Amino acid sequence: MDSALASYLLRRLLWVPPILFIVTFVTFTLARLGPGDPVSIATGQFRDPEVLERVRHAKGLDKPIHEQYYIYMKGLLTRGDLGESYRYKGRNVKDIIFPAMYRSAQYNAVALTITISCGIALGVFAARKQGTWSDPTAIGSALAIQSIPTMVGVPFLLLIFALKLGWVPASGWPRDCNVSLGFLGGNYDCIGVLSKEAIIPVIALALPAIAVWGRYTRAFTLEVMKEDYVRTARAKGISEFQVMTQHVLRNALLPLSTMIAFSLIGILEGSFILENLTGIPGVGRLAFESIGSRDYDLIMAITVVGATLFIMTSIFIDIAYTFIDPRIRYGSRSG
Amino acid sequence: MAREAAELTPGESIAEVSGAASGSPTGMAIRRLLRRKVAVISLTFIFAFYLMGLTAPLLGATHVIQDYQHQDLDHDLEGPSWSHPFGTDRLGRDQLARVVWASQTTVIVTVATLFTGGVVLAVGLGLLSGYVGGWVDTLIMRIGDVFASLPTILMLILINATLKTQVRSIAADVQDFTGIGGIVRSGAPDYILIFGALSLFGWVGGARVIRSQILSLRETEFVTAARSLGATTPQILFRHLLPNVSNIIIVSLSLGLAGIAGSELVLTWFGVGIQPPRPSFGALIFDTSSIRTLNQHAYLLLFPGGIVTGLFFAFNLLGDAMTDVFTPKAR
Amino acid sequence: MKGKNAALLAGIGGLVLLVVVFVVLLGGGGGGDSGDGGDKASANPTPGSGGGCDAPKGTDLRLLGPEPIDLDPALIRDAGSAQYAVEVFSGLVQLNADLKVVPDIAESWTISPDGKVYTFTLRKNALFHVDERAVTADDFKFSLDRAAKLGRTLSTTADAYLGDIVGVRDVILGKSESISGVKAINATTLEITIDAPKPYFLAKMTYPTAYVVERSQVTANPERWWYKPKGTGPYKVRTWEIGERIILEANEKYYGGAPKIKQILFNLAGGSSLTQFENCEIDVSGLGIDDLERVQSAGDPLHDQYVTGPELALSYIGFSVKTPPFDDPKVRQAFAISIDRDQLTRVVGKDASPVATSFMMPGLPGYNPNAKLPAFDPVRAKQLLQESKYGGASGLPKVRLTVAGGAGGATVGAGLEAIQQMWKQNLGVDVEINQVETAAFYDDLDRGRVQMWSLGWIMDYPDPEDLIDLLFYSKSRQNNSGYNNPQFDALIEKARSEANPEARLKLYQDAEQILIQDLPWMPLNFGQQHMVVNPHVKGYTVNKIIVPFLRNVTIEP
Repeated sequence: MDSALASYLLRRLLWVPPILFIVTFVTFTLARLGPGDPVSIATGQFRDPEVLERVRHAKGLDKPIHEQYYIYMKGLLTRGDLGESYRYKGRNVKDIIFPAMYRSAQYNAVALTITISCGIALGVFAARKQGTWSDPTAIGSALAIQSIPTMVGVPFLLLIFALKLGWVPASGWPRDCNVSLGFLGGNYDCIGVLSKEAIIPVIALALPAIAVWGRYTRAFTLEVMKEDYVRTARAKGISEFQVMTQHVLRNALLPLSTMIAFSLIGILEGSFILENLTGIPGVGRLAFESIGSRDYDLIMAITVVGATLFIMTSIFIDIAYTFIDPRIRYGSRSG
Repeated sequence: MAREAAELTPGESIAEVSGAASGSPTGMAIRRLLRRKVAVISLTFIFAFYLMGLTAPLLGATHVIQDYQHQDLDHDLEGPSWSHPFGTDRLGRDQLARVVWASQTTVIVTVATLFTGGVVLAVGLGLLSGYVGGWVDTLIMRIGDVFASLPTILMLILINATLKTQVRSIAADVQDFTGIGGIVRSGAPDYILIFGALSLFGWVGGARVIRSQILSLRETEFVTAARSLGATTPQILFRHLLPNVSNIIIVSLSLGLAGIAGSELVLTWFGVGIQPPRPSFGALIFDTSSIRTLNQHAYLLLFPGGIVTGLFFAFNLLGDAMTDVFTPKAR
Repeated sequence: MKGKNAALLAGIGGLVLLVVVFVVLLGGGGGGDSGDGGDKASANPTPGSGGGCDAPKGTDLRLLGPEPIDLDPALIRDAGSAQYAVEVFSGLVQLNADLKVVPDIAESWTISPDGKVYTFTLRKNALFHVDERAVTADDFKFSLDRAAKLGRTLSTTADAYLGDIVGVRDVILGKSESISGVKAINATTLEITIDAPKPYFLAKMTYPTAYVVERSQVTANPERWWYKPKGTGPYKVRTWEIGERIILEANEKYYGGAPKIKQILFNLAGGSSLTQFENCEIDVSGLGIDDLERVQSAGDPLHDQYVTGPELALSYIGFSVKTPPFDDPKVRQAFAISIDRDQLTRVVGKDASPVATSFMMPGLPGYNPNAKLPAFDPVRAKQLLQESKYGGASGLPKVRLTVAGGAGGATVGAGLEAIQQMWKQNLGVDVEINQVETAAFYDDLDRGRVQMWSLGWIMDYPDPEDLIDLLFYSKSRQNNSGYNNPQFDALIEKARSEANPEARLKLYQDAEQILIQDLPWMPLNFGQQHMVVNPHVKGYTVNKIIVPFLRNVTIEP
């Protein structure tokens, strides 16, 4: 690692704490700005103002925002304490969000694998058939599928495959865990994605993204196919399959790795709409519920964990890039 | 290009260089774009959609479409017919009229967001960051990092959930103070909040691309020449640099439109976007996206869902064609 | 690159194909339901076809359930959590299906002549889960003290449900550590003293707040004991995986006899319930209005499995009687009678819930079948508006109807939009519907910032006090409409101390008549539940209010 890269990375890393500080502060304030608070919502119809005040006081919600923020950050930084949920009374936030992320990660990982393999296959296919009808037909169909919004596509998928044909269950997550890995421990033993229930969510997530990967792969493949070494390889009479796998794909995969890295963040963020439509108890649904119930600490935890992951991944991508492509130099870039 | 600039006299050089930079590549690219049938058909569809949205009040006033708020409780939930081509909803309202007015919502939100977030924020901050450099650049890019690292949809929902009441009450105050009626009723506060929030999170990507382009252009000869000839910073920015990045701006903005329309759909679907009685695609789709409703009254989702899908498809095809035409390197 | 045009064709072709597949599968969209059923039966014999599902495998009952907020009875205040708590825990008394208070852990009780001292005799065979230790009066003393102490911090129910007991408020306010009005006389005798004779006191004691919890478990792990609580009810919690499932298993040692169904599985993940029912994934499903008409018609395969019944709930439009223009009773009346509730119920509500005729609903003690809310009368409504101090529609200030929304959904509901239209047509008043997020809605309501709102009320316990007194008595802290009528207040005060149950209910009926005249609320519909139940599952009924009943459900092969 050269010194220019090292100092660049150091500067990037130095910026992480202030960025995270702003992220937490903005989220913290924003959540508390709105009308209503978790106590009021959690109370339901039996709402005695005196009782509400008492509970707010007990929870420290009557303190000024900056004071609450100080208390929260102190707990987070000194004890790694993500706080407790108000909606799920007093339950520890980490007991709620990590299992939810785990479930989101499962179906996202499977969907991403499908997307990438189908996408790359589609892209290579389209590039090889450039100039014929197959190329635009393949890419065009993928684009058409990509254009269907989740909230339109999923109900139709469910209607046809769950309700009309009865091939798959209507719920998006198994009610009774079929595949259980006991050694992973209480909250993490169920591999819910390996069930019929997860078929529709996985398809709904995987199919639309194929177009993105297909288009990128096609573009990269076309570029690489024009390079001299590919022509040389071809001229040498190496089989077309070997040319594709050993020369073309290997080079095209380098830039694709960035996309993979960024997709990995998406894995943990879940899908808001899909999870709400199919009833997957993942982090997307959790996030939505916690905003609705103003579950302050849960909102904070989801944002903080999400932002940290994002920042770390983008730094990691920068590092990875210098190894993949030595031409990149960081000395001259400002910031 | 740069060589020519160096030979020209100060007065002419600026006009010539910028003319050459803006007119020709962009113009050529557009001509190339228009030679593609896919692009033309997509553009036609998008244009028709925007026209439909813009003329919704006119269509309503001339009774081409029916009153989107008119309820006919004796004719609720009727399938498509000649009098109601898209059927009627739970209150016997004409679904076609609601779709047309929903497209107006989409038009307003996309155009307003494109302008505030895309043009003003992304282009302005991108240019500034790339050209001025130094601490200004650092500050803008770090602010960008903050926005980029926040989970966008979550933050959009949060902003809309917590700030809506405040924005509405401000609007109500403005209404009472100025005596301009109907500000709240028109749904303007909702629109402002939605495109404000979308812009806030939407500018980062565009700004970064523009910045990196400017960074590489900043040191090129024609800029150095213009600077040495006494051009001011704004002149260099807007007459030299901007035209050179216009291709990228056009591509990223037109790709952004679909994203904005999609976000509005999501927000409204979650009940924090455009509020009824204003029709919007998010609301039309939400009403029927339960599969039980879909099973009984499929047409309620089929028409709005189909039109939105068509719009996104057109945007996607256009984006594909534009990427090909405007950025030949990326093919 | 010419072939690029094919992208468009391919895409359009693909979409058209999708639509065709869809239309074929649906047999032409909305109308063809009966034909559909036939197709389905032949194509796919087991799921969703006429004969219904097989009996659930083994002894499991499979239900779709809400995620409970918690299972600590002292903190529970929502129906979603209470439905589990009543099966897992138990208290001194319980409600039966007819909403009568019947013995539970208390075998019997006596009430002192002044109506203030209750002496309960506990049964000896009530055992805590797992430990199988007998419940004593000390356990109740501990549990009630604990529930009251939680009222200082987390509990929003301690005051409401236990507040009648002497000394509870002292505990809540931190002046005492023990409720002076609760005494364990000996292992099986518990004495509770309340502040005034209150005929509804026992009804309140059926709510989870007053249930017994296991002292050593609670003190050992005060934060998390309720993940797997040791209750005394007919079912024990076997597993609870947040967001995924809750499995209850039969408590073989239950003092009321072991439950027939050995295991009950609640799916918490959600999704469309009727679809899951038709796919034989669950045994009971609620019915939305889109399916109601179909299931109610005699030919439908689900018709035989359809069960319906009233629940103690009410939907209404509330008026803030202190805020213009609703400070004038004539305006309230005009707004109320310009709503065509019959049409609304028939068209928009698909007759899912009956039109309300009074404030107290059928099934609630005190329900008055002769009560009559003013009928729909647009002519009279307009006239009333002109007679009001605002002199007609043009004299009114801006009128806003505030509703809660935002918890996933972009709609104020067809019903309200129809009402809005009726006001416009029949009164000439443009009412703005202000949909605010649930959080903001309650905030506004608590602060009295709404002019008019739409909401529902679900009875907490089956006594008119929970409706007529709690929500309309002038000094009640939950009187959101700000209603204040001395004549009404006098009746309520009298009802509070009336010992004769008949006379007491009569007083509430008289008070209700005043409400019907003054209309601080306009009731819209009574609650009604609709569901389908797997024919092999017997005894699963609609409950008017949350009561323990699963132990009586059986599965027949």
